[in-house]
Amino acid sequence: MSHGHSDPIHHPEVQMATNRNYITGFVVSSLLMLAATILVKDHVLPSFGLLLAIIGCAGIAIIAQVYFLLHIDISEHNIWNTVALVMFIPLFIITIGLTWWMFSQLYMRTMPMMPGMPGMH
Amino acid sequence: MLVNVPGPWSPLLGRLALSEIPYTNPILAPLFIVIVLAGIALIAGVTYYGKWGYLWKEWFTTVDHKKLGIMYIILGLIMLFRGFIDGLMMRTQQALGDGPGDNGMKLMGAIHGYLAPFHFGQIYSAHGLIMILLAATPLLVGLMNIIVPLQIGARDMAYPYLNALGLWITTAAVFLIMISLFVGDFSHNGWFGYAPIFEMAYSPGVGVDYWIWTLELVALGTTLGSINFLATVVKMRAPGMTWGRLPVFTWTAVSANIIALTSFPCLQVALALVGADRYLGTHFFTAGFGGNLMLYTNLFWLWGHPEVYFVILPAFGMLSEVIPAFSEKPIFGYITMVLASFAIAGVSWIVWLHHFFTMGMGPYVSTEFSIATMLVGIPTGVKVFNWAFTLYRGRLTFSAAMLWSIGALFLLLIGGLTGMMLAIPAINYMVHNSVFVVAHFHMMLLCIVYAVFSAIIFWFPKIYGFKLNEVWGKIMFWLFSAGTFLVFFPMFMLGFMGETRRLDWPFNPQWGAWFDVQEIGIFVYVLSVLAFLWMLYVSIRDRHANRVHTADAWGTSRSLEWLTDTPVPFYNFAMVPHINALDEVAWRREHGFMDKKPDHFKAIHMPNNTPIALYIGALTFLVGFGLTWRVWWLTLASLILAVILMIYRSNKGDPGYIIPAEKMEEMDRESKARMLSDDSHQVPHGGGFSGGTVTAYAALDRDASGPLTPPSDSRHL
Repeated sequence: MSHGHSDPIHHPEVQMATNRNYITGFVVSSLLMLAATILVKDHVLPSFGLLLAIIGCAGIAIIAQVYFLLHIDISEHNIWNTVALVMFIPLFIITIGLTWWMFSQLYMRTMPMMPGMPGMH
Repeated sequence: MLVNVPGPWSPLLGRLALSEIPYTNPILAPLFIVIVLAGIALIAGVTYYGKWGYLWKEWFTTVDHKKLGIMYIILGLIMLFRGFIDGLMMRTQQALGDGPGDNGMKLMGAIHGYLAPFHFGQIYSAHGLIMILLAATPLLVGLMNIIVPLQIGARDMAYPYLNALGLWITTAAVFLIMISLFVGDFSHNGWFGYAPIFEMAYSPGVGVDYWIWTLELVALGTTLGSINFLATVVKMRAPGMTWGRLPVFTWTAVSANIIALTSFPCLQVALALVGADRYLGTHFFTAGFGGNLMLYTNLFWLWGHPEVYFVILPAFGMLSEVIPAFSEKPIFGYITMVLASFAIAGVSWIVWLHHFFTMGMGPYVSTEFSIATMLVGIPTGVKVFNWAFTLYRGRLTFSAAMLWSIGALFLLLIGGLTGMMLAIPAINYMVHNSVFVVAHFHMMLLCIVYAVFSAIIFWFPKIYGFKLNEVWGKIMFWLFSAGTFLVFFPMFMLGFMGETRRLDWPFNPQWGAWFDVQEIGIFVYVLSVLAFLWMLYVSIRDRHANRVHTADAWGTSRSLEWLTDTPVPFYNFAMVPHINALDEVAWRREHGFMDKKPDHFKAIHMPNNTPIALYIGALTFLVGFGLTWRVWWLTLASLILAVILMIYRSNKGDPGYIIPAEKMEEMDRESKARMLSDDSHQVPHGGGFSGGTVTAYAALDRDASGPLTPPSDSRHL
């Protein structure tokens, strides 16, 4: 164990942390959340468009939080964070994708849509 | 916004009331008295011998990974016992309650057997939760905690304070589930919970709340631990310890902790949503208002299946350490062993639906998950064949640790083959929810228990400096195996005969004989518990006779943890060794470098003890307890205090302390003297470097070690 770089203040992640970044991250994700809430509350789009819009908001919010709040970028000193992030992407696709596939098949068999029924899709 | 609870509620005590204490229950009331008396005796004993300072300084505030690991293991063994008692009660209930008619006694309101359905439901729920998350997980985390830093040549974990925090939060979870015995009751809808039974409308009591917060706490503790393990292995390896030289156990710890880190958040989210349903009145998992019952099952098993591989992978790693040591051969197929671990970890993410094949999502989805589940058999098969080839033509020593490992292989075989059967949806539809499934996963979990006992016996001398009694270890093994056979062979049969899980009243009188066999089996298990306690007693009594005088306790060990002194000093390695080969100790033994001493010492940096982890653990217990009973002031106060403590500690940091080089030299000399190092160079030569012949007990040839010289870069920092 060497002591040269043991002072946490000198870690690159800490160096990246500034008040401005935190506030930007907070504001951006709050705005996106607000936008998604308004979209859903007022049903401003048709249902599929709504779905895409919320997913888009969530995606941008994730990226903003990862960058501004967790201080993860793809530079050299963050190599292990990048590895973890890259590993997380297929996991994300698998879990969400398989869940979506499974439920779409389930609804096809168990939840026939009746005309005039307030449905889930 | 908050959900109205049925029954009384007061701002001061929440839902707590005297009527929630089951003082009229003829099982719990005497148990409570016994526990209080035992607790008083313990406190009195510690006070009488004046050990409070010692306990506080050496154990409660420690950040030493070995001591934390030992406490994890003690915690796991206590909970293994608690879960076993639950199992004993279930077996007895089914043996007594089988057949038509009532028991004529109406004991505790039960018509069949001696447990009312509500009570029985709590027992099986607690049994499952305890055995998987509070017994198996702490045992494995404890062993990883002790062994992983030693195997990679580190002085401690990457975050010693985080390590202590993980232990004390897990302990808080244990306290929460234990207090549910005496205050209120526990969840009665299975260890994984069923939607929507756990909703407020159907389970208005506090049982489900206990279940939620116990699980949340243990998930938090384990997630913190997994971050720590990964950072440790990535950053703290000794010089020369390349990825290709990591011992297999460390590799399995890495793969297991990757899946723990990625999957536990799913559980935490799923339970947080259950909590939102129960506390805030949302509808995530009800059928109304757009909620979906199956979404809970999906989210739970999204964590649940990676979790079962999180517990099996370190067990595989333990087998991979014990079997080569007692076969006096290097592990067969190191690379494939590592790849298989990661293949299992990867596949663990695409199989979770096989826990609910009968949900009704049709043949295509079932086929995908069925095939993915069967794929698990390939890397697992690779591992089993690797162990078999390691044994093949090895110089086998059937020590107690080896017996437990071989027993684990047999259980893995039975559990794996029945798992293949269950992976086929057509069979799954037939035996779904039957005790056949229960018997299958008990085979797998007992495989872990066997591996854990094997590992405890194997690594015990490294930590304590004396071996456990071999004879009693073997007696315990045979009793345990007989119990396993007698309990679970009938369970497979009963599953084929159509007995469903969790029956408080097995109505079919033709099952009676099998229940009686199981009851005999569970009493054989009781004998094995007694044998375990007796083994500990005998071993501690005869510790001077069984003392280990060498770094390498078994004489045939292979990985780095056997290089340092026995028992391991708090700094692990006086000088961090330079790693030259896979199976470093075997390599050094082969080349006669085992007793090489460092020619100089360096100052080392160690972390300070801290009580803050203990305080935060206690506060998380109060948070869980306050949430369970809806005592909002207690919850908020504990939560705020915990956050303040965290911020305080983060700002304060821990500069640690430096041990100067001269002091290190002196401590190393003392540690070596304690080993009575006169024997320490009686290490056998030719100790099995990869592929070579193995002679662990060959006649010693002292002169042979003379002309050899160590490489100049050995033992450099």
